[in-house]
Amino acid sequence: MSQNNSLSVLLKGILKENPVFVLILGTCPTLATTTNVAGAFGMGIAALAVLLCSNILISLLRKIIPDSVRIPCYIVVIAGFVTIVQMIVQAFLPPLYEMLGVYLPLITVNCIILGRAEMFAGKNSVGKSALDGIGMGLGFTLALVAMSTIREVFGAASFAGIAIPFMEPYKIEFLVKAPGGMLVYGCLIALVYAITSGKAPLKKSFTCAGCPNAGNCHTACTEAPAAAETEKGDAQ
Amino acid sequence: MKKSVTSTIVLVGICAVMAVLLALTNAITAPIIKQNQDAAANEALLQVMPEGEGFEKMDVSTYELPSTVTEVYKEKNGGYVITLTTTGYGSGMVIMCGVSADGTVTGTVCLASTETLGHEKTFGTNFTGKDAAGVDAIDTISGATKTTAAYKNAVKDALNTAIILGGGSVDLRTEEEILNDHLTAALPAAEGKFTKLFIAEVIEGIDAVYTADNGKGSVYVVGEYFIPVDENGGMQVFDSISLEIQQNVAAASVILGASTTEDIDLTEYAETLKYITSAKKTATGNYILEVKGPGYGIVGGDDYHPASGEYIIVRVSVTPDGKIIDTFTVSQEESKGIGDACADEKFYGQFDGKTESDYSDIDAIAGATMTTNGYLKAIERAFDAVKILEGGNNE
Amino acid sequence: MDLFKSLIIILLSSVLVNNYVLSRFLGICPFLGVSKKLDQATGMGVAVTAVILLATAVTWPIQKFILDALNLGYMQTVVFILVIASLVQMLELLLKKFSPSLHKGLGVYLPLITTNCAVLGVTINNINDGFTFLESMVNTLGVGLGFLLAMVLFSGLRSRIDETNIPKPFRGLASTLIAASFLSLAFMGFAGIVENIFA
Repeated sequence: MSQNNSLSVLLKGILKENPVFVLILGTCPTLATTTNVAGAFGMGIAALAVLLCSNILISLLRKIIPDSVRIPCYIVVIAGFVTIVQMIVQAFLPPLYEMLGVYLPLITVNCIILGRAEMFAGKNSVGKSALDGIGMGLGFTLALVAMSTIREVFGAASFAGIAIPFMEPYKIEFLVKAPGGMLVYGCLIALVYAITSGKAPLKKSFTCAGCPNAGNCHTACTEAPAAAETEKGDAQ
Repeated sequence: MKKSVTSTIVLVGICAVMAVLLALTNAITAPIIKQNQDAAANEALLQVMPEGEGFEKMDVSTYELPSTVTEVYKEKNGGYVITLTTTGYGSGMVIMCGVSADGTVTGTVCLASTETLGHEKTFGTNFTGKDAAGVDAIDTISGATKTTAAYKNAVKDALNTAIILGGGSVDLRTEEEILNDHLTAALPAAEGKFTKLFIAEVIEGIDAVYTADNGKGSVYVVGEYFIPVDENGGMQVFDSISLEIQQNVAAASVILGASTTEDIDLTEYAETLKYITSAKKTATGNYILEVKGPGYGIVGGDDYHPASGEYIIVRVSVTPDGKIIDTFTVSQEESKGIGDACADEKFYGQFDGKTESDYSDIDAIAGATMTTNGYLKAIERAFDAVKILEGGNNE
Repeated sequence: MDLFKSLIIILLSSVLVNNYVLSRFLGICPFLGVSKKLDQATGMGVAVTAVILLATAVTWPIQKFILDALNLGYMQTVVFILVIASLVQMLELLLKKFSPSLHKGLGVYLPLITTNCAVLGVTINNINDGFTFLESMVNTLGVGLGFLLAMVLFSGLRSRIDETNIPKPFRGLASTLIAASFLSLAFMGFAGIVENIFA
């Protein structure tokens, strides 16, 4: 494995295959935890930790786990690490634990993690899988922080809980409410498309490509036409 | 077959490994989490007792405490922090109250509530430094009487709890029970059974009058005094009671006919007095009648059951020769801000001293002709009723 | 009577006010992915409702009588997700065997449900909110109906949007999300109504 190669494994999660804006995975935490930067950053790091650990363990076990029970095995491993992260956060960062609430255990069903286990860690070496986990986790974190910055600064006139006084008269509280999250996410996806328009080669059908269950649900997915499209953002 | 066995073993193995990992993490983090939670709980306690230290949760199951008390923490210097759940306008408020060793409130906070007005969030600061009497003196929040009352009662319960836990004893009876004790002490002949005479509320100089259910007299409440008057109008005089109060009570007892009243059985008048809901005759022969008048919305006369609208119930006391001693609006559902002025003494006070010839010579309620007319109808019915009742007596 | 009232309030607030998809973003993947056509949306909604009801009926007793009793609260996530995965698998096998027509209708949606966060979310929330078994079941029914309602409404909305001519960058998921935002905004109007219906 050349250095160049491993670098690309690491970087592709951050840019070329950003899980949030390109693969459109993990929409639930993206929308729910981006009302403030601190929560979003915490969620990103928690997911990164789980992703890194589960990728390493699954990659280690990839030769032992029989194909027929691989999904249950992955789920157990992921749920286990999620609980460990949850306990650590609860013990050492109680405010973050309060902030994330039920979305912390729900990292278990975050498609990014099961998706990377299925698509990458189950097939690649430990080193590469670890790098992939870090890259994807960072990509997820960056996307969450970017989106939460927009929502918190314009919606609550603060950044990571620190008030920005001159924004106070102009804040749009709608942005930190549920519909505001969907609006900002939708606009960001459109923005990524607009910026990368022309050099974005990949048109992807939403939800199913990255979904580990894609193979199981042909009917549902193939019937949902590929009109929904997202662009592969290469923002360099 | 072999394949599925291996699969199962691997799955079970992974589960076991993860379970062990989890148990290990839990063993490390559980004490820290517990410590954090305790610290957070302590922080809430400090909110209501800023100078408190060394809080410890008490087992209070062996004490008989007010029913609102849910949790008690004892503080090192003899204070208590008490959590109470009240019933307010909607469902309950959860209030935490600190009580210092000398029995004053160190602070209260409303931890949870579904109250309508939001005052309960800030209202708690009024209690700091108060004792039981101070709590009583706190002003009601306008428009949130029930919330205020519930909050005050909760704080008083907390103060009582502190006294009980400190080894003292507290009267945990309801206000009604305590009042009844006072009444019985003043007039033992009544054997503890009294009825409040609402008519007396408007007699000048008298706060309340309770008549004995067995007709053995009544008790006049003036300020902190409970003055018994027996069935023959004999007042028990204490030196400590001012002459003015004595005169007021004497005057009132004359109006109310030595305060013994006799219920008139209305069943024989079912046809002629159908708008009279209750009638009493005092020893001096005066009548105290509750009369229904058609409220706003009872259309087409009030011989029907009201389709939309409620009766105005007026209590009228009239002399046998048809002179109004007093009127009082018992209940009404008139339009808010318009017709409901009929419950204002400014309106019903106008009828005092009127007779059948001039009772309608009053200022109508502005913008509520229907309500005024309904009220006048009730008064008219009272006059009619007195005539009928007097006639019945003459027979 | 009070019990009945509180159950009605739980039901209505989880259908309307705290709609899982529109205000808590749980189950947003199938909401965006499988809401293209009305029949698919309905199928997914029904399947999710069935699975979460079943999952709550199983996980609530497990939490109360096994995990809490043995002081194993920290195994919650692992146990719940395994139970849900096995339930979904079993339900699919049973449907395939005993009711092929139903399997044809709903079966295709079942595998997608394991990783639907609404399922794990509702089972964990029922425990966190301290609901009794009855309250949990009512809440779960509300969540399921709320999901179904959101799916059906949204599929109608989408079919209109797809017929319009929108700027290129907004085509596809971007416009879908913005439409979802408006639906969510409409549901915000229910806040404060349900709690006061009996007041």
